[in-house]
Amino acid sequence: MHGTMKRKSIAKTDPALFFALITVWLSFAVFIFLPLVRLLLTTFIVDGTVSLANMKKVLGTSYNIKALYGSLILATSVSIAGTFLGYLFALAVTRTNLPKVLKALLGGVTILPLISPPFTSSISLTLALGPNGMLLKAFGISDFSIYGFLGTWLSETLTYFPVAFMVIAAILNTMSATLDDAALSLGASRWRMFKTITIPLSMPGIGNSILLLFGASLADFATPLILGGHAFPVLPTEAYLMITGMFDLRGGATLSFLLLVPAMLVFFLQRMLLGKKSFVSVTGKNGARTEFAKLPTALTIFIALICSLVVVFILYLYAIILWGSFVKVWSVNNSFTLEHYRYVFRHGQKAISDTLLIAVLSTVIGSVLAVVIGYVAQRKQFVGKRFFEFSSLLNYALPGTVVGIAYIIAFNQRPILLTGTLSILVAAYVFRYYATGIRSVVASLEQIDPALEEASLSLGASSVRTFTHVTIPLIIPAVLAGMRYLFIHCMTAISATIFLVSVRWTLLTTRILESMTELQFSQACAFSMILIVIVFIADAIMLYLMKLSTSKFHKSQEISYEKVGA
Amino acid sequence: MKKSVLELSEVSKVFQKGRETVRAVDSVNLMVEEGELITFLGPSGCGKTTTLRMVAGFELPTGGHITIEGEDVTNTPVNKRGIGFVFQNYALFPHMSVFNNVAYGLKSRGEKDEDIKPKVIKALKLVGLENTENRYPSQLSGGEQQRVALARVIVMEPKLLLMDEPLSNLDAKLRLHMRTEIRKLQKKLGITCMYVTHDQSEALTMADRIVVMNKGKVEQIGTPFEIYSNPQSLFVADFIGHANIVRLEIAAIEDDFLVVAVPGGDSYRARALKPDKYQKTDSIYSVGKNAALIIRPENIKVEKTSSNPGRFPAQVVSSIFVGSHIEYELKLMNNTVIKASVPYLNGMEIYGEGSSVQVLFDESNSAFLPV
Repeated sequence: MHGTMKRKSIAKTDPALFFALITVWLSFAVFIFLPLVRLLLTTFIVDGTVSLANMKKVLGTSYNIKALYGSLILATSVSIAGTFLGYLFALAVTRTNLPKVLKALLGGVTILPLISPPFTSSISLTLALGPNGMLLKAFGISDFSIYGFLGTWLSETLTYFPVAFMVIAAILNTMSATLDDAALSLGASRWRMFKTITIPLSMPGIGNSILLLFGASLADFATPLILGGHAFPVLPTEAYLMITGMFDLRGGATLSFLLLVPAMLVFFLQRMLLGKKSFVSVTGKNGARTEFAKLPTALTIFIALICSLVVVFILYLYAIILWGSFVKVWSVNNSFTLEHYRYVFRHGQKAISDTLLIAVLSTVIGSVLAVVIGYVAQRKQFVGKRFFEFSSLLNYALPGTVVGIAYIIAFNQRPILLTGTLSILVAAYVFRYYATGIRSVVASLEQIDPALEEASLSLGASSVRTFTHVTIPLIIPAVLAGMRYLFIHCMTAISATIFLVSVRWTLLTTRILESMTELQFSQACAFSMILIVIVFIADAIMLYLMKLSTSKFHKSQEISYEKVGA
Repeated sequence: MKKSVLELSEVSKVFQKGRETVRAVDSVNLMVEEGELITFLGPSGCGKTTTLRMVAGFELPTGGHITIEGEDVTNTPVNKRGIGFVFQNYALFPHMSVFNNVAYGLKSRGEKDEDIKPKVIKALKLVGLENTENRYPSQLSGGEQQRVALARVIVMEPKLLLMDEPLSNLDAKLRLHMRTEIRKLQKKLGITCMYVTHDQSEALTMADRIVVMNKGKVEQIGTPFEIYSNPQSLFVADFIGHANIVRLEIAAIEDDFLVVAVPGGDSYRARALKPDKYQKTDSIYSVGKNAALIIRPENIKVEKTSSNPGRFPAQVVSSIFVGSHIEYELKLMNNTVIKASVPYLNGMEIYGEGSSVQVLFDESNSAFLPV
C-alpha cells in the first residue's frame, strides 16, 4: 500500500503536507543553509578560489591554538564535573531517604540556573572572589585571581550541572525498582547493588549528560568573556573579539569553523546514543509499584553533604546578585540605594521591552513551526525525511557563536539585508530554540496512538481537520512545554544574538554584559534581577497554563527537560 | 511431622492514606511446612502481595512476627534472609548476560568463580535453558525470561522461594505449561514455596494448601479440596468456582442438615457448614431465619418436568450454547438469578429464553452457610 502511495505525487495525495513541506524547506534554505554556506565560503574561499589560507593564518597564531586547546579542555572538565555533580543531585532526589524539604530544595535550586541568564554565576563569582571579592576579604586572601581557567570552569559547572541533573534523574526514575529488589533478594549488599545495578543502568544518562555539557560549555560565550581573561582564551570569545574588536570577519568565521567541528561530532554522537534502545524499557510490565532501594548510609551522607554545600553556595551567589543590585558601589560603599533600579528603568526600558517583544514573537513563531515540523517528522512519510529532521536541528546543534557569525555574514548584504532588524534576532532565536519544541511535540506524538487520527479520517474528517481537532488538542501540553523552554532561552541566551543586536534593537542580556565590561557591577546585578524576575513570572504562567491544559483525557505525561532536550 | 520453615504470627501492615487508616494486612497467622507449596489467593488489593513482600523483607510489618527456620527475621533486611524472590515482571538485569544474571546471587555471596560456573550451568539445565548463557534478557521470549528468573533463584538454594504472580505476563497457553513445570521443579527440589496469584485455577492446580485472603484478612486456609468443597465463608464460595448463593428461609434443622422452603415449590435439604469462627457459638442457624445455599453452576441440572421434591421452579433468562456446555441464567421464584452450566449431550434440548423449567441441585455438592 505504501509503495503505491509513494509513487503518486505528494502534491495530489496530500496537498496540505506538500504545502507545509515547501514552506518549511524554504525557511530552512534561507535561515539554516544560506548562513552556513556563507560561513564556509568566507572561511575557505579566498579571492574566488578554494584556499586554506585563512585556516593557516588563524592556526599560525599560537594564541588561537591556545584558544582551541582552552575550549576543549574547558568543555571536557565542565562536562565531567557537571555530570558528577548532577549525578549526585539526581541520586539524592531519587535514591535517598533525605527529608522531603531538602529534596524539594535540591530540585528548586537546580531550576535557578536554568531560568537565569548564563552568566549570572560569573557575575556573582566576580563579586565574591574577584578583585575586592567579598569571600576573599572575609578570609583575608589577597593573592587569588578568579580570572582564568578555574573561575570559568567553576562558573560553567554551576551553570550547567542542572542539565545533567535532569537528564540523569529522568533515567534514574524510569529504572524498574524491582531490579533493586531483585539484587537485594539475591543477597547483594546495598553497595553491591549500587555498583552492579544502579551505576551501569544510568550509563546512558551519564553519557548523554557528558555530551550535552560538553556541547554547552564549548559554545558558552558569556562566561569566558567575563571570567576567562587574557590568560585563558577560548574559541567563542576569540571569534567575538576578532569580529567586534578587529573587524576581521574572515578570521572570526574561520575560528568559528574550528568550533563547529567538535560541536558536530558531539551532535552525531548524541544522536547515536539516543538512537540505541535503552536497557530501561526491556522488561515487562511492573506489578506493584515499589520504591527504589535506598543507597548505603555512608554514600547517602557523602551525597547529602556535597549537595548541601553546593545548594548553599548557589543560594549565596544569587543572594550576592540581589544584594549587589541594592548597594552603591560593591564592596567599597555598601550603603543601600535604589539608584541602579532607577537607572535600569530609565535607560534600560528599551532593552526590557525589546527583549520581551522579541521573546514573545520568537516563542509564537517558533512554536507554530515546531508543531508543524514535529508532526510532519513523526507522522508522515516523505522523501528526504531523515535529512529534513537533521536540518531542522542543525542551528540548535551549532554553537551560538557560529550561528551568530554566520547570520551576520549572510544577512548583511542584498538580496536579504536583515542586519540591525528585528527579524534577524527573531530568526536566530526561532531556528535555534524551536528544537526544544520539536522534540517535545515528537515525544508527545509518540505516545498518541495513530489509530485516533485514523478514526477521525474514517469518520470523514479531512486531514487538516483531523490535525486541528484531534491531534492539536492532544499535544497541547507538549506544545506548551516546548514554548516554556523556548521563551526562557529567548530571554536569557546571548551567544548568537550578541552579534546581531544594534542601536535599534537591543537585549537585556547584552546590557548586562555591557555593564560588566564597564565594571558597573551593581547595574549588572539590577539588570540580572529584572531579567530573572520576568522569566520567573513568565515561567510560572506557562506552568499554570500547562496544568490547565493537561485535562482529564491526557495521560499524566511528564514532559521532562530530558525529552525536550537541553 | 515435618518441620515448619515459615511462621507468621499476627502479622499486620497498617499505613496512613491521608486521614484514613488502611489495614493492608490484618493479623495474619500461618505456618508453612518444609517442601510445601502454598498459594495466596485473593482479589487485587486483598493484601496477598504485601504479605509476600513482608516475608521477603521488602516491607516491614507494623505488627506481629515473621520466623524463618526458627529465627525471628521480622526486622532482618532482605539480603540477609536467605529467601528467593521471583517477580511478576521477571526483574532480570537487562545489562547482564543470562549467565551473569544467574551468577549474580552466588557472586554476592562471595563464591569462587570455578564453583559458580557448574552451578549456573546446572540451574539453567534444570529450567530447560541450556546454551543460553551468553544471550541477553532482551533476546529471550517472555517464557524464557521467566525461566532465567527461576534459575537465578533456585541456584541459590533458598530456604524459601517467594513468587509474586510469576505467570501473569505470559500468554494463556504458556501459563498452563509453566504452571506444571514450576510445580514439578518445586517438588523435585523440595523447595518450600509461597506463591501469590489471583488466578483460582492456578491456585487450585499448583498448591498443597491455599490461603484465601480478602481485605487484608485470611478468609480460609486449606487444601484445594477443602477450599473448594468446604468454603468457610460466602466470599470463598463466591471467589472459588463462582458458586451461586441463594438465600432461603430455614424450615427445620436436622442435626448437620437444614431443610428450607423452596419458593414456589416444596422443600430442599442439604448439609449445613459450621465455619471455624462459629465453632464456639451453639446456634448459628435458627428456624425462620435465612441461610445461604451454596451451589456451583456445574452441579445444577435443568429439566422440563421433574417429580423430585427438591426441585426449584424457574424461568430461563438466557441460554448460551458454548460447545461442551450450555450456560443458563435462571430466575428462581424468589427472583434470585443463578447460573447453571449443563454438559451438552447430542440431541439434548436447549431451553430458550422465557421457558419454564425445573432446576435440580446436586444435594451432596451443595451446602448451607450462615448469612
